[in-house]
Amino acid sequence: MKIKNFLFVLFFALYLGSGYAQNRYATETGNIWFQSDAPLEVIEARSGAMRGIVDVDKNAFAFTVNIRSFEGFNSPLQKEHFNENYMESKRFSRAIFSGKIIEKVDLNKDGSYEVRAKGKLIIHGIEQERIIKGQLKVAGDEMQLETEFTVLLEEHNIEIPKIVFQKIAEEIRVKIKAKLVK
Amino acid sequence: MGQSPYFKTHDLPQELKFVDLKLLYQSEGGFIWLGSREGLIRYDGSQYKVYQKPDTLGQNHVSAVFQDKNDLIWVGYRDGSIYQLDHRDVLQAWQPEEGLPVVPITGFAEDLEQRLWFSTYGEGLYYLDGEHVYNYDTDDGLLGNDIYCLVTDHRGWMWTGTDGGISICWLEQGEKKIKNITREHGLQDDIVRAILPDEKGNCWVGTYDHGISYLKTDNFEFEYPMSDWDMGQINDLEYFQGRELWIGTEGQGLWRWDFRDKKHYPVGQENFQSAKIYNLHKDIEGNLWVISNNGGLQSTNRQFEFVEKPVSNIQALLVDHDDQLWLGTPQGLFRQVKDSLSKSSFERVLSENVLCLFQDNYHNIWAGTFGSGILLLNQQLGKQRHITEKDGLTNASILSIDGNGDHIWCATLGGVTEFECRMNPLSTDALSVRNYNHESGLGTNFIYKIFLDSKNRTWFGTDGEGISMLDQGKITNFSEAGEIPIKSVYSITEDRRGHIWFSTARSGVFEFDGSKLINLAVKEGIRDLSITGLATDDKGQILIIHPSGIDILDPESHHLIYYDTDVGIDDFEPNLNAFYLDNAGNVWIGSQREIIRYTALEEKLEIHPRTRFTGISIDLEPINIESQNKFAHNKNSLAFDYVGLWFTDPETVKYRYKLEGFDHEWIVSRDNRAVYSNLPPGSYSFLLMSTENDAFDKEPLVSYSFSIQRPFWSQWWFVLLTLTGGASLVFYLVKTREKRLQREALLKKEKIESKYEALKSQINPHFLFNSFNTLIAIIEEEPSLAVEYVEKLSDFYRSILQYREKELISLDEELNLVNDYAFLLKKRYGDHLKLQVNIAEKAVYIAPLTLQILVENAVKHNVISKSRPLLIQICLSEKGYICVSNNLQKKLTPSHSTGFGLQSIVNRYGLLSDKKVFIEETAEQFTVGIPVIKNSLF
Repeated sequence: MKIKNFLFVLFFALYLGSGYAQNRYATETGNIWFQSDAPLEVIEARSGAMRGIVDVDKNAFAFTVNIRSFEGFNSPLQKEHFNENYMESKRFSRAIFSGKIIEKVDLNKDGSYEVRAKGKLIIHGIEQERIIKGQLKVAGDEMQLETEFTVLLEEHNIEIPKIVFQKIAEEIRVKIKAKLVK
Repeated sequence: MGQSPYFKTHDLPQELKFVDLKLLYQSEGGFIWLGSREGLIRYDGSQYKVYQKPDTLGQNHVSAVFQDKNDLIWVGYRDGSIYQLDHRDVLQAWQPEEGLPVVPITGFAEDLEQRLWFSTYGEGLYYLDGEHVYNYDTDDGLLGNDIYCLVTDHRGWMWTGTDGGISICWLEQGEKKIKNITREHGLQDDIVRAILPDEKGNCWVGTYDHGISYLKTDNFEFEYPMSDWDMGQINDLEYFQGRELWIGTEGQGLWRWDFRDKKHYPVGQENFQSAKIYNLHKDIEGNLWVISNNGGLQSTNRQFEFVEKPVSNIQALLVDHDDQLWLGTPQGLFRQVKDSLSKSSFERVLSENVLCLFQDNYHNIWAGTFGSGILLLNQQLGKQRHITEKDGLTNASILSIDGNGDHIWCATLGGVTEFECRMNPLSTDALSVRNYNHESGLGTNFIYKIFLDSKNRTWFGTDGEGISMLDQGKITNFSEAGEIPIKSVYSITEDRRGHIWFSTARSGVFEFDGSKLINLAVKEGIRDLSITGLATDDKGQILIIHPSGIDILDPESHHLIYYDTDVGIDDFEPNLNAFYLDNAGNVWIGSQREIIRYTALEEKLEIHPRTRFTGISIDLEPINIESQNKFAHNKNSLAFDYVGLWFTDPETVKYRYKLEGFDHEWIVSRDNRAVYSNLPPGSYSFLLMSTENDAFDKEPLVSYSFSIQRPFWSQWWFVLLTLTGGASLVFYLVKTREKRLQREALLKKEKIESKYEALKSQINPHFLFNSFNTLIAIIEEEPSLAVEYVEKLSDFYRSILQYREKELISLDEELNLVNDYAFLLKKRYGDHLKLQVNIAEKAVYIAPLTLQILVENAVKHNVISKSRPLLIQICLSEKGYICVSNNLQKKLTPSHSTGFGLQSIVNRYGLLSDKKVFIEETAEQFTVGIPVIKNSLF
């Protein structure tokens, strides 16, 4: 899995680096929030360093974020726990979602599109196939992306010690807002 | 073949005429659900109920319907939306986090782990696992994203028909698995339009252009039963176990593939010629439902089929060993000639009046005639033989022939002849003859029916003399069953338990279980006593044939089902014993007008109408049947809506209901609604049965129990509460009154004591002595002042006498009294005693003499001198106290004190006010606070 991740990142970097194709929108500063509404404590964090590309010819996409780039925890200790105990971000440094858009939409045309993206979501080194619903607004060279979805910790083998169980919800809500440009 | 089913058209009401039906689904409860352009329609055989999305903007074109194991109905639409019909009968939008498809939903299925799967036309296959929706599409190996059909096999695997073949999808430990079946595996066409699993778990596959294949699911090998299909695209398949596969095409009508002769025949050509068949469905009553562009919704009861009327007045039928049909009529004997696959005609082979037919082991047809003896025909050998009285026949009019091996029995108008064939009976000396008649012990020589049972007994149905049994050479006659005379016996048969059943001219049917006779007539549900035939079908059921139709009797439970016009049996005039049970298990029944072919289906069929509540309402408000069953005393008018689903003949359904706790008798009705108004409080059970044949006793019962609560004022808890409440109130009143009286008594005592004390103190000789001394001192020097002094003294005493009776006086009055008192004191102490009154608010009340006693106390206990003057202050504190304070300069030898004055004030105020009198003594100051009383209630 680790090798696969590495390859993906490599591919991703190359993909981004090759600035030839015109029908791609990309960002390196996408915003991603997550929130865990546990009975005892609400944990929130945000990263403004989500990278992503959408290929409008193939209706394909890839997004990735460095786990360590999340900020805004309740305390530095919480951030440390998040990185070291739960996400093990030294081993699994990135979360990745890549795949295809299910709807047959033509993103070359300006407009607002409700789409569902089917792809592989890799978090904590565990790959899960997911369908994620989102909204794409295309206006010339700009594409706005907004989406919200949930991640089940169990699905990604993220183990929470029993004692802090009430501090972290089994389901984490994730929100993404990004502006991609051609 | 050549027989065709009778199709009944289900007319939709005018407002639904153009809804464009394409889809039919039957739920576990028995309702038929129709998918239309204008919404989901529920059909119960007579009523159509339309369900539309609650949000009116959405389009209502239904493309899939499914009932899951929790009885929830799922509805898929062409726009990709999915709704659920909840237990309150309302459509609710289903909104998973992952969103919904934007292409048509084409099917639903459920796997063994109760995961819901749904297929789409354009986005592949989805499944719901836990809370999330997941997808299979071409990227996962699916052969196409356009899925035409979705079915599940016994393993819970999902079979999808796509443009590229069959993709079978399943999950193994949460992981997606797929197996594809394409041309490489033997599929004849890429495009798979319909898949139908059979009872063995194998699948029939209908393709776009290459007809039908049969796929064995254990080894995924194909069989190609149909090599000559040229009817184009297949839309749907349905099958009857062991008999036939029905095929609906796109523009080439309806076909069926016969498993026995392995040929396909068109069905109902007058209805479906070049029709588009959208949907086929077999229900649990044996009806096959068809939706087509030609006639909309139609159904046929597969048990009954009809042969085009060849000749009229059929008296005998026979299907020979070559599956050819023979008909005996007054005009002669006719034989069926097959012209083509679906057409046939009849040729006349004999001109005699043929009453009965039989085929022996030598392939000879025995035709029993009226008056001309027996004619033996052998088609293969081209030979014929005429058997008459010369050959030993008792009589030339033959009414019935039956045989067992080489023994052939003939019933005639002159007794019974038993032939024994030593060789093919076509030869003249092949037969040995034995006759039975009145002399042998038969009741009469006139025998209608002869029947050989499984125990080698021969039964004779006689004219007017009951039934006779020949067992090992001994004849036993039965001419009555208890009180009931049997008389003429027309027809005889045997069930699987070896019970003999026979029908009579006027007394209905009798069952002989080996020892006793049981009679079944109108009371037992037999609706027509003019019975012309009894036959046992392949399933062991007994067919009772009469002019009103056919009743099918379950010999064990005696449950009956009536079949008549709704299955196509119309204007039916059956002739005596004009039926034949063929080797394939079909019963052929002849009448004056038509031939019916009855097939006992292998499927287990429902024999009862399924009784369902469609709604219960109180004051026109529907209630939730699942969860509500207790109602308030004024919610006591209930209406029950129900239906007995019997699609074979919905019009015949009758209901019987009783509200236990209210009705004493059952109420029989055809209405779908029962109303009860103003039920008194109590517990009730609404019991309901429906029947299609007037025999309620064997029908299943449905019920709904509920209770009407008593009004709260007659509930036991309320009565108890009221009693305890009342008792406590009385107790409380008594207690408070006691307390009040006690307090009043106390107050009175206090008052008397204080009055006494006050009077005592005022006429205290010391006080008088002092007062008179003061008076003497001034009487000569200042006579006018002396007069004033005496006046004040008398005022003071008058005030004391005036106020002592009262509970409270105004502060103003008390202050006047204190001022008078102070005047008297000042004359004695001069400027050494000072009284400051600092009170603005005077509209308050005070116990009389309170301040006077306090001032007196101050004077009594303190030193008053020029060097040590005494200052007494009376003021109103912010906390609601009148404070009397003085600078403390106690006498060294305390004056005699009873301590009564202050204590009396404290006691009196304890009764007058919630607040307590406070006494504060510091080194310099002595203060007494009297609570202010704002009103003078006392």
